[in-house]
Amino acid sequence: MAGVAAATLPYVRGPRRRFPLGSVGAIGLMLLAVLVGAAVLAPWITPYDPEQTSGAPFERPSPRHLLGTNDIGQDIFSELIYGARISLMIGSLAALVAISIGTAVGIVAGYFGGWADVVLMRLVDIVLVVPFLPLMILLAAYLGPSFWTIITVIGVLVWARPARILRAQVLSLRSVEYIEAARAVGASAARVLLRHVLPGVLSLSLAQFIQAASNAILIEASLSFLGLGDPTAKSWGSILYYAQVRSAFLTGAWLWWVLPPGILITLATLGFAFTGFALEVSLNPRLRR
Amino acid sequence: MARFLAGKGVQYALVLLFAVTLNFMLPRLMPGSPLVFLAGEDTAFMPQAQRQQLLQAFGLDRPVWAQYLIYLGNLARGELGFSFQQGRPIAEIIAARLPWTLLLVGLSLLLGTLVGVAWGTLSAWRRGSVFDLSSLGLFMFFESTPSFWLGMIFIALFAAGLRWFPIFGAQTAGAALAGWALVTNRAWHLVLPLATLTLITIPGFFLIMRYSMLTVLGEQYIATAKAKGVGETAVMYRHAMRNALLPVATVFMLNLGVIVSGATVVETVFSYPGLGRLLFEAVLARDYPVIQAGFFVITVTVIAANMLADLLYPLIDPRVRRGA
Repeated sequence: MAGVAAATLPYVRGPRRRFPLGSVGAIGLMLLAVLVGAAVLAPWITPYDPEQTSGAPFERPSPRHLLGTNDIGQDIFSELIYGARISLMIGSLAALVAISIGTAVGIVAGYFGGWADVVLMRLVDIVLVVPFLPLMILLAAYLGPSFWTIITVIGVLVWARPARILRAQVLSLRSVEYIEAARAVGASAARVLLRHVLPGVLSLSLAQFIQAASNAILIEASLSFLGLGDPTAKSWGSILYYAQVRSAFLTGAWLWWVLPPGILITLATLGFAFTGFALEVSLNPRLRR
Repeated sequence: MARFLAGKGVQYALVLLFAVTLNFMLPRLMPGSPLVFLAGEDTAFMPQAQRQQLLQAFGLDRPVWAQYLIYLGNLARGELGFSFQQGRPIAEIIAARLPWTLLLVGLSLLLGTLVGVAWGTLSAWRRGSVFDLSSLGLFMFFESTPSFWLGMIFIALFAAGLRWFPIFGAQTAGAALAGWALVTNRAWHLVLPLATLTLITIPGFFLIMRYSMLTVLGEQYIATAKAKGVGETAVMYRHAMRNALLPVATVFMLNLGVIVSGATVVETVFSYPGLGRLLFEAVLARDYPVIQAGFFVITVTVIAANMLADLLYPLIDPRVRRGA
């Protein structure tokens, strides 16, 4: 029957191009390598200190200032490279918080079941319904804009979706033979969790971490754009905040002040998304389409 | 089906309770007097007698549980507090802003769903083709793009640059327009913000519809239909698409919070006078009561939309109707 379907369905007609999975992951990793590399090497590759006024305000791009200067006269190119540090760091740390919570919740709910499962999954449902940006704005306004506020606020909301996915994984692991055997032999719950369940979800956790980082970078950009980012550490979103406040998009300056930060945010988000996607599919061949 | 709706009802009630309790707790958990968060930072410098008056007016001298009950009662009556920064009742401010957000979000949701579903279907039908792969690339790009940045680019290109559209606002300020002229003017102001928000709404629906269609197309009943001699278009629409739509409906509900969040930044970029922009202004002015009321109203709106979608879901999935 399946053979008939394959022979007659129109989407199989013509050369069947399998989705090149390897190149998706490769593109993702390449993007990440470039961006993380730039962030790490920042002190050596930036021409100027982004905090210093190194030129006249609103200078156009020139050999001296590759992307011109902002409204205070700081070099935008240098700002972008140092911004990579902030954006990537906040994104990764927030994702770390989110995945730590998500993995813990997923394991507890999936392994122990019962009322713990019910309560935790109800919590997941609640977190997923609440409109996340207005909630983050509320929390960030009260906690005050700072590096750790942003990380906490993002982490505390992004854990929900991975928790659900990890719980499903734990549920399928629970009935696997070696776990049943371990329990039959009388291994304590802690031992089973640590030695059998945790390694089983680790690789999926990693894939989820990378996806979460992708989300976190985008969310951090939005929060910084709204003025809730760390005032002392300019991320890409913060650069766009200042660009908006100074109405850069109404002048020609948008080409070198507004366009580059947005492109970088998109590339970082894509880099993480592609890598995470490739990793998740390689772990679960059924998803290969 | 009654069980399904009752379960959802409990979930939404819990979300509401969470939002309300959070709003109540936040000013009281902060170090110092909650008065600063409820009535403005000037209260820190007020003479003692005046502070005492305010404390009593806000009921802050009562025990916490009494305050909570008063707070719940107020909310139920639609009493959302007073904005000390704007000098107006907050309910009034929000009533003026809410329609604009509903307009923007509603239209982009509609457009985004229609375009996403149609495009996703086509893409799945032509899986592996140049059309499919480039569509995938295009929408993965838009899904990773910050919406506010897209808005700024649109303004720079089409508003400030080509001058095809206005730069900000929902309608031309000060112009005394009425009837059809007013509608056209508002529509003209709506184009760019709507385009921005729709462009980031489409990818989610596109991807889900495409994936769903691919799953459905591999099912036995499709092969049966083809074997029966049903025409290609009929197979695509009558058999494949209708069944593929089911996961889309679920995603639709999950996406609501995301789109409303997107609207928040889009409104800010375009100075569109909606609830999202109100939140931004309130943050700048440290007008905490407005931030809290805004968050509350937005949450209520998302819940209402979710409930509406839940009521309509059994119409497309007969299995839920029969309680199977």
